Amino acid sequence: MNTNAKESLVMTGLAVGFFGLAGAFALTLWAKPLEPVVNPPTPPDFTNTATVRQSPAEIYRTEGDTSGFSCYSCHDAKKKLEIHLDTNGEAILAEPHKDLVMRHGRKNRNDYCFNCHDAKNLEQLRVNEGQTFKLTEGNRLCGSCHGPTYRDWERGVHGRMQGFWDLSRGASAKSDCTSCHDPHAPSFPPIKPGPRPHALHPEPAAGETPKHTP
Amino acid sequence: MADHTCNCGGNGANSCASGKPSTPESGKVDRRSFLRKSVVMTAGLAAVAASLAPLRDLTDLGSVDQFLQKHYKELTPAEMEKALERIRGEVSRQYGLRPHLRDLKPMDGVEFVYCLNLTRCVGCRKCVHACVAENNQSRSPEIQYIRVVKMPNGTFDMERGDHTYAPETVPEKGFFYMPVQCHQCKNPPCVKVCPVDATWQEKDGITVIDYNWCIGCRYCEAACPYFARRFNFATPSIPKDQINANMSYLGNRPRQKGVMEKCHFCIQRTREGKYPACLEVCPTGSRKFGNILDPNSEVSYILKNKRVFVLKEEVGTLPRFFYYFDV
Repeated sequence: MNTNAKESLVMTGLAVGFFGLAGAFALTLWAKPLEPVVNPPTPPDFTNTATVRQSPAEIYRTEGDTSGFSCYSCHDAKKKLEIHLDTNGEAILAEPHKDLVMRHGRKNRNDYCFNCHDAKNLEQLRVNEGQTFKLTEGNRLCGSCHGPTYRDWERGVHGRMQGFWDLSRGASAKSDCTSCHDPHAPSFPPIKPGPRPHALHPEPAAGETPKHTP
Repeated sequence: MADHTCNCGGNGANSCASGKPSTPESGKVDRRSFLRKSVVMTAGLAAVAASLAPLRDLTDLGSVDQFLQKHYKELTPAEMEKALERIRGEVSRQYGLRPHLRDLKPMDGVEFVYCLNLTRCVGCRKCVHACVAENNQSRSPEIQYIRVVKMPNGTFDMERGDHTYAPETVPEKGFFYMPVQCHQCKNPPCVKVCPVDATWQEKDGITVIDYNWCIGCRYCEAACPYFARRFNFATPSIPKDQINANMSYLGNRPRQKGVMEKCHFCIQRTREGKYPACLEVCPTGSRKFGNILDPNSEVSYILKNKRVFVLKEEVGTLPRFFYYFDV
């Protein structure tokens, strides 16, 4: 092979190689950008700041439905209220109170209506010592038994706070006991957790271990 | 040079393309070799040009003003106002709303402390999602400042924690939940390792980041023992209707690709006296925040009266984030 033919071959090879590269670069045949991940939006329940329930004080304040607090629209004020027990020793509740669940206290032993409600005036609350409170003053009734928790609550350490930490700039609002706790079953109810962190890669199939957790 | 007989135009024997002495009749470049070489040259140039193709996608280059902007601590008030105005413009163009953006300074006589009640936390992750909404974090890919770790009762070994739990309801029996976020350390390793001073501790205790100064080296991410820092590997994406217009320069203004971000105790809220977003959304009231220099604050009461636990105390970071127990 003479030198001219050799040079010709090298040059043709180079040209083909370069054009191939140019084409590959232009079409980005490798290192294609990954499809962007699009995560589903978080349901708005997980960002709203509402309490899990509403206390009577809150219902009055927000002008909600207070019909449930007027006991004497059904009960007779003149007649003494008596509690009838079934054979298991459970109170027999009238139809409007059927959904009531009593789970208060260790072993649910604080299960007597008139431990907290005033038997003489059903629209009032009453502690054992005889002091009575309005329905909207429930916090003090709770505090009559739960002293340390009430002390923490007064200092803003137990329970929810909203507003301003700097009281010179604005007010901070505590929540009532019954804004979070059902007085008849006070332990905080189990709730649905928010979505977990999304993996950077598609979720693995069942039984497969994830390659990478976020 | 007297014996140089090559005609290829080079000035040395080795620079000659063919590397051999040319024959006397090749005194001028012949047509065939010229064409051959020009085809190869063209192909080579085309390949180089095509290899620069990714630059076509480089549309999110910042403005010259942004490039020339000085470090946060060196900005005069006028320069800061100019920078704020530029960012307001960028946000309006990108998200279609004019933000309430300002540069909030630390308050005098205030040092922030965060307390979290491990007895009360149920692991519902509402704090995580409220934080994302408040602080304009990228939704896809996802950036979250708070990580809630589910831990088996009886241990603080983080290796046994799980952050991908997804049961129907929480809490689960036999576990406790420990949300982890930036601890705003008094002795912050992330600040020490930053090679460009893009992150520093302010006098109210918040460690902040100048997103325009960060070079994205991620040293701080590696240095943090709490997994608190997040990196924008991709351009953040936030739906237009979910942007929070209440913004602070060092806080929740939109970040760009290639910078670090992390929890800043909701600087845009707390430096105006408000509680952080994660605290307000917590359904159990496990989160407490306030000024430790005020003896009547909630956090002072907790540190005086509760059993307090510091995560990874042995690493000597002196966090301003405390876990505590009720009983």
